[in-house]
Amino acid sequence: MVGLSKNITRTILIASYIMIVALIISGVSALFSYLNTGADRSTMLHTEIQKVEQYLPKVSWEPLKNEGRPMDNQTLNALQSDYLDAWYVKQIAYNTNKTAGIKDYYTDSARENLYSFIELNKAENITIEATTLKHNPTLEFFSQDGQLAVITDRNVIEYKRVFKAEKLVLETTETSNYKIVFLLEDGFWRIRHMVKEDADIYDNKTEPISVDNLNIKGINYYPQANPWNMFGDEFSVDTISKDFKIIKDAGLNSVRLFVQYEDFGKEHVNPKKLEKLKQTLDAADAHNLKVVLTLFDFYGDYSVMSWTLNQRHAEAIVEAVKDHNALLAWDIKNEPNLDFESRQKAVVIAWLDNMIDLVKSVDNVHPVTIGWSNTQSASILKDKVDFISFHYYEDLEKLDAAIKTMKTEIPNKPLVLQEFGLSSYSGFWKPLGSSDEDQANYHKKIQEQIAANNLQFMSWTLYDFTDVPTDVVGSRPWRRNTQKRFGFIDNNGAKKASFKYISN
Amino acid sequence: MILKRTYLLLLGLILLSSFAVVQQNETLNKIELLTTQTEFEVGSSIILKFSTSKKEQPLLYCSNSYGSTVISSTLKNNILEFYIPENITKKIGVVNWKLLNETNPLSGQLNINPKAEVATLETYIGPPSIEAGETDYTMLVVIPTDSLDNPVPTNTLVNAKHQFLTSEETDDIFTKNLIAYRNIYSKKESGRMLVSSESIGINSKEFTINVMPAIPTDFKISATRPHDYADGNQITTFTTSIIKDKQNNVVSDGTFVTFFIKNKNQNILKTTGTTIDGIATSKMIHPDYEDNWNVKAYVDGMSESNSISVDYKQVIKDFDVAFSEKNRLITVGPLQSFMQQMIPDGLHVKLHIYKNNSRIETLTKTSFNGYVNFKLKSAIYNHGNYDFTIETAGISKEFKTKKLW
Repeated sequence: MVGLSKNITRTILIASYIMIVALIISGVSALFSYLNTGADRSTMLHTEIQKVEQYLPKVSWEPLKNEGRPMDNQTLNALQSDYLDAWYVKQIAYNTNKTAGIKDYYTDSARENLYSFIELNKAENITIEATTLKHNPTLEFFSQDGQLAVITDRNVIEYKRVFKAEKLVLETTETSNYKIVFLLEDGFWRIRHMVKEDADIYDNKTEPISVDNLNIKGINYYPQANPWNMFGDEFSVDTISKDFKIIKDAGLNSVRLFVQYEDFGKEHVNPKKLEKLKQTLDAADAHNLKVVLTLFDFYGDYSVMSWTLNQRHAEAIVEAVKDHNALLAWDIKNEPNLDFESRQKAVVIAWLDNMIDLVKSVDNVHPVTIGWSNTQSASILKDKVDFISFHYYEDLEKLDAAIKTMKTEIPNKPLVLQEFGLSSYSGFWKPLGSSDEDQANYHKKIQEQIAANNLQFMSWTLYDFTDVPTDVVGSRPWRRNTQKRFGFIDNNGAKKASFKYISN
Repeated sequence: MILKRTYLLLLGLILLSSFAVVQQNETLNKIELLTTQTEFEVGSSIILKFSTSKKEQPLLYCSNSYGSTVISSTLKNNILEFYIPENITKKIGVVNWKLLNETNPLSGQLNINPKAEVATLETYIGPPSIEAGETDYTMLVVIPTDSLDNPVPTNTLVNAKHQFLTSEETDDIFTKNLIAYRNIYSKKESGRMLVSSESIGINSKEFTINVMPAIPTDFKISATRPHDYADGNQITTFTTSIIKDKQNNVVSDGTFVTFFIKNKNQNILKTTGTTIDGIATSKMIHPDYEDNWNVKAYVDGMSESNSISVDYKQVIKDFDVAFSEKNRLITVGPLQSFMQQMIPDGLHVKLHIYKNNSRIETLTKTSFNGYVNFKLKSAIYNHGNYDFTIETAGISKEFKTKKLW
């Protein structure tokens, strides 16, 4: 008996010993293999380091007629890249009052000038949020040994927000001329001298675009199968074409489509997406429908440092489709007033203001609007937009009064009720919701009001959706389910009672 | 009627007086710029003065070439005084300012002008070496700066000076685009050029430019050797004439010269050398058989020499071959040179061994004390009849059907 238990003890001891050894070995080997992983040897060559674009103001070089050595494209690109980086690090430095990055782009003595500003502003608790939107550099001189260059950058448009003790004290847009001497040091084109030769307040007077012929009777459109992801993998021009026929046959003349910022590739717009967008516009044109194109959908960062990137995005899209016959108008942003609280009203408005200028600088034919989510915001930037767009999901009783107020505030611009509708969802998550009948009555009533107030309109939306991404209304089921039932056509493809009142 | 007129008059007066009051109020609230000067010399202190009637002290935004800031004022006797910070006043360029009050925002510009003073001359010169011949040039770029590290006014005179051999030249250049520059061309001669610059009494340091000779022109070569025998031992030295460029400058030391030698079998031998004081030399060992060399030298891609012919005379007229030890030891020699002296060690002797008319082996040995011994081992070369051919110094001898046993 004793022998047996001794044997058991022995066995257990040996077994546990083996296990401990095994554990230690596996632990050490895991550590060893961890230490052996890491950078691939090829990374030593720095072959795959990609430049991250942080700052992309519009740069238009004047034709090269410089003195000294003839300039080549590669060097000019390097110079431009370092010059923009110099602006970028400066903007960051004045925004944070830190000196990081400055020494890469300013020579020893030039950087002292920036340091003294940072020191002063830090002591006075001043920060400056700034960006430049446009550069028109001229190469004046390039030295024979390729180590020194002088440029004159004319009409640099600088947007600045100046804060003192975290309080905004000035918002300004200036246009300045700079003369800059660069030295090539350690492979960087560094600024040696920078002299502001002229400065003025920038006053961009965009020409109003005629909207006399504007007569929008339209609808907000997403395909039923892939709402809010229209230009994704499930993009089908046939489906869209069929839907456009339904819309045209219902007596409408326009659709509102959405271009999503990230989906379209942010500052480097994806040509494949543009192709899909053009195919959609072609389909609209085939059915004689006009398109209001809403830019910057699902974009919510209006920060000054991203402006140049946003503008490159808008520029690429506007440039690509501005001559399309189906295009009716540009809607800069859907419901930007919802971001007023989280992103500061002044920043959002400044962003919109500058984006309108940018869109109009590329396309001076098509009118521009902003899709405000309510009637109260509609008068913001009323002088910049060509027609006013607002959304209305509130009580219809109050609509007439709201329109009246708007018409007194904005007497001279057409009003477009750009989104309205009623969900016919009534179920577990919303027991007291509206029925199909309620929805039909709603559309009947609002069409009467639209006609009476002589409004143009775009309803929400053609289809009931089976799925709504959480990005749209959040993940709460009562919201998502409500959002699924705004359509004139239900999930089975049958026209709901409201379809009768899709147009007036 | 009169009463009505009186009322009207009275009303009119009241109306008028109210305007007057309003106007007075406006003048009372107004802030006005008192400083009329807008042009300042860099480094001078700048105070912007405004008259005001209120206690309120608005901020002043100002922005120069390098940055922007906001400054606050001191109020003395209804005068607002803004001291523009030193880091702004000491940099040239436009300063735009704006008074940050809500009622009547004033704004304006100051010009801070450069001083006609030079404290340092930043001088850049490049490329550092150029070619002689009056076509190539180097560029001198001068950035004159004042004591506050600002570029000087446009059209400031800068003297670009350079010395070369006996000439000393000064050129007047003027600043434009914040810099002044001058192209300095080479002369016909090569040498060192010293460059400096001066502006308003300040002199730069000295810079040196190497004016290198241009590319070489065609040249001549010669060969020298201790004797003209093909003994495979002595060395022939090839020498170029002094290689010069088209301006008669001796080419730079280290110019690489390649000598191509073509022998009578059309094989090419190659030897190279680099120049010192324009002369490149290169060596080649003598052949060990009668030969004729055709030699030509090149500086790759630039110039070539004439071609010369060099003859080598045969030294070994004949040699003996002795078979011994069952024909397994073959002794070649004595190998004798032109004065019947034993040939210096190292002459190649080849033995070709044939069996049944096919070559089965070639043995090569070098001479030692005038002899070469070939030992054919019985383990390798079985008993039988073999043919042998012995070659050296371009002569060959055949021995048919030698029996090894």
